[in-house]
Amino acid sequence: MKSRIPSGLPWVLPALLILVTLSIYPMIYSVKVSITDASGAFTLANFIRLFQDRLFGAAAVQTTVLTLVALVIEFVLGLALAVLIDSLARARSVFRAGLLVPMLLPPVVAAVAWRLIYNPQFGVLNGTLRRIGVNTAPLTWTSGENSALLSVILVDVWEWTPFLFLLLSAGLQAIPPEPIEAARIDGAGAWRIFRDVTLPLLKPTVLLALLLRAMDLVRIFDQIFILTQGGPGTATETVSLYIYRTAFRFSNFGYAAAMSFVLLAATIVFSRGLMRLMRAR
Amino acid sequence: MKTAFRYILACATLLIALAPVYWLVTISLKREVDQFTYPPEWIGFTTTFQHYASAFRNGSFAHYFTNSVLLAALSTLAALVFGVPAAYGLARFEWPGRWSENIGNWILSTRMLPPIVTIVPLFLMLREARLLNSLFGLAIVYTAFNLPFVVWMMRGFFDEVPREIEEAAMLDGETRVGALLRIVLPLVKPGLAATAVFCLVVAWNEFLFALILTQTESAMTLPVGIASRVTQYEIRWGEMSAAGVVAMLPVLVFATAAQKYLVRGLSLGAVKG
Amino acid sequence: MMRVSLSLILCALLAACSRSPERTLTIAVNAGVEGTALKLAAKEWGASKGVQVEVVELPYANLFEKEQLDLTSKTGAYDVIMLDDPWFPLMLESGSIAPLPHTLDADFVASCVEVCKDPKHPGAQYAVPYVGNSQLFFYRKDLFAKYNLTAPQTWDEVLAAAKKIGAGEKMFGYVMRAAPGNAAVADYMGLLWAFGGDVLDASGNPVCDSPAAIDALKFMLELGKYSPPGYAGFNADEVSAHLLQSTALMSINWPAWIAAMDDASKSKVVGKIDFTPMPSERVHGVGELGTWIVAVPAASKHAADAFDFIFWATDAPQMKQAALRGNPPTRRSVFQSPDLVAKFRAFPAQLASLESARARPRTSHWNEIENTFGIYISKANSGAMDPASAMHAAAAEIARIQQRAK
Repeated sequence: MKSRIPSGLPWVLPALLILVTLSIYPMIYSVKVSITDASGAFTLANFIRLFQDRLFGAAAVQTTVLTLVALVIEFVLGLALAVLIDSLARARSVFRAGLLVPMLLPPVVAAVAWRLIYNPQFGVLNGTLRRIGVNTAPLTWTSGENSALLSVILVDVWEWTPFLFLLLSAGLQAIPPEPIEAARIDGAGAWRIFRDVTLPLLKPTVLLALLLRAMDLVRIFDQIFILTQGGPGTATETVSLYIYRTAFRFSNFGYAAAMSFVLLAATIVFSRGLMRLMRAR
Repeated sequence: MKTAFRYILACATLLIALAPVYWLVTISLKREVDQFTYPPEWIGFTTTFQHYASAFRNGSFAHYFTNSVLLAALSTLAALVFGVPAAYGLARFEWPGRWSENIGNWILSTRMLPPIVTIVPLFLMLREARLLNSLFGLAIVYTAFNLPFVVWMMRGFFDEVPREIEEAAMLDGETRVGALLRIVLPLVKPGLAATAVFCLVVAWNEFLFALILTQTESAMTLPVGIASRVTQYEIRWGEMSAAGVVAMLPVLVFATAAQKYLVRGLSLGAVKG
Repeated sequence: MMRVSLSLILCALLAACSRSPERTLTIAVNAGVEGTALKLAAKEWGASKGVQVEVVELPYANLFEKEQLDLTSKTGAYDVIMLDDPWFPLMLESGSIAPLPHTLDADFVASCVEVCKDPKHPGAQYAVPYVGNSQLFFYRKDLFAKYNLTAPQTWDEVLAAAKKIGAGEKMFGYVMRAAPGNAAVADYMGLLWAFGGDVLDASGNPVCDSPAAIDALKFMLELGKYSPPGYAGFNADEVSAHLLQSTALMSINWPAWIAAMDDASKSKVVGKIDFTPMPSERVHGVGELGTWIVAVPAASKHAADAFDFIFWATDAPQMKQAALRGNPPTRRSVFQSPDLVAKFRAFPAQLASLESARARPRTSHWNEIENTFGIYISKANSGAMDPASAMHAAAAEIARIQQRAK
């Protein structure tokens, strides 16, 4: 007996209601705020400003740079680590447990630790470098306009390479040994096996890991907030931080809402890709 | 030889991963005059617990800590109470067309919302409901965070339990709800535990919403408290690092406990690690 | 397990619901030297009146964000807010600051009282000044005496002394902060005003690219040649560190740092630093005003107690107590009180500076303007742009900000 209402609905309804109230309704409200001006009339001024705003463009560029650079480094390092740890005969779980620590910390705590470390005058990084004879005067890390973004990327690499390591490691272990054995019997060298057999089999996991990480990088906030608050100037101001500043320091909620929709659009693009990947499994 | 080299490399990487954390711990234990000596002292310094005392006994961190604990517990519980039935409903029942998949995807996509998109409306909504600056209000928001995750994870676990088991029980006169509670849940207990741990960690680490939705110390959480020690001219390194150390301990403990399901949780169930 | 979690929930519910009906007062202060005195005063007042005082201490930027959010959405979370005077025009616009029940007496320094008024409707007063901060010029009087120089009166004298003494003593003749944003603006304003320039004219149009302004910026770059490398990224702590470590000769600074200069645990120059009002150049020298004022949000549910507290904390005896705790006062009588003058040798200079100090442009867009302005000043100092182009670009940006406001 098939009723019109799916029988599973009552089970799902409470959760759906909570999500609609706390996710969908705020979004609708945001839309409204972004298309009304101070007197309540309809206006597209916020969106027009978006296209002319040099600062938003800069923030978008910085976010893209940060995402791409961090992603590439984290992937390469994560893969190398996965291969390395996998190849060890003993103590694998010890290394794995230790390597995961940066990822498990509250991002605020990790940022605080690195802020300590990065301090040009008193931090342990410059202190140690000075000890081994490096001239640390130009090394201003997060206080220097030119080095701030890189310094922030470095913190993210330290914190999230374990994530890629973990996922890629799991992926590596899920690869059946037969194709690799077969290739070895055929006389292929280690690198060729890796490039032509392992990597293609690893592709689904790689894509998944990259997409997940990219989505989180695009909306990065906590670490930058603690490390530099978007500074010096706007050197490390990503889109999230610019939106935050517009909303809470300049009290311009309408414009902030407009910008956050652009950010949302970027995230949707990523998540669509992610869904398709996950469905394929 | 190559083996030795690989072990050395692995150790080096481990050192890099742990050194910053270790440094944070040392700062929390050093006297103020020793914190910024040159050359930097990694071991053999005078230890003091004054920063922990000042942060937690006289300072407000005891407050922040309790708030974080309550918040994490409350929101995790609520997320499980609403999420587990939802996951079960999606996994077990007949749904027209691709409803089940679409609802699942939609639920997951709410997890992808950049927090900044919803934060101002949520602030205003909570203000209307007089739930601003309250643990309750923040707990509701965190529940909404964790719900999609709970649904997605638990659905995967439910899918792994064969339907025949409940069907057999129901033939014996068990109700659907009873079957879920008494038969299926015990079978997915490890998965349930891991999901709970993930929710706890997410709530514990959360920063932006706690920053905006709380206004006084009575409601602020540990991450917010730590961030508020980063002042314009002088940073209270000692207190901040003591709080940081305390903030990271529960997470490390929990994550180790849920190690087995770490990969699955992080990849939202896609990779069964 | 179930029982434990149920009781946990119950406890949480009770904790969230229980709100003792006793009198409470929530004050928001700056987490730094400026907020310390007010925090202590609040606790004392609360103890004497039987009021439960909750102090929320937040770093500068976050303090502004939280207070502004509270004001615009009228949540009434804070009963007393402490704020930096440039924030006030924006905060007043939300219309949610309660006017003072009675006007301030004449003992308060006039420049401090001015910033407590609404620039759009002068007349009513909306805040009480608490921290009487205005920029001072710090210099090494021992080294000046060694080279037979008196305290610098003009910027030309400053530059000459920087060259001469700096070379002779092998230290930096000058140190300043030019990190993009507030830091760069704070150190540039003194020069800008001394050269006769300004950021905005009377109608609010940017005039920061006037010849006088560009000359002032060029002079800043001149001084930069005698400053430590990397100063274009310096903030207040770097500047003070150089003075304290005896690696720099002079700088602009806030009175809050005076105590540190004479603190043997932090300073290598105890007793060697002296303070004068800001140097002149084409016009009389003027220091930037940076008073912290206290106000009561209109949405506060404890307005009566709030006003009672702020008037108590700013009457003469309490201000004197605060001064002893390191807080620069805003009352003339306190500055001139003999036992305080004996203890704080900089008080006469501070009072002179405070009385002639100038507030930053009182526009509700100051945050954005200062941000933009600061970026360009910093670029000029780091060599990324030449002074003229930097100022023209700044003027264009500021015009755009003002335009959007209309």
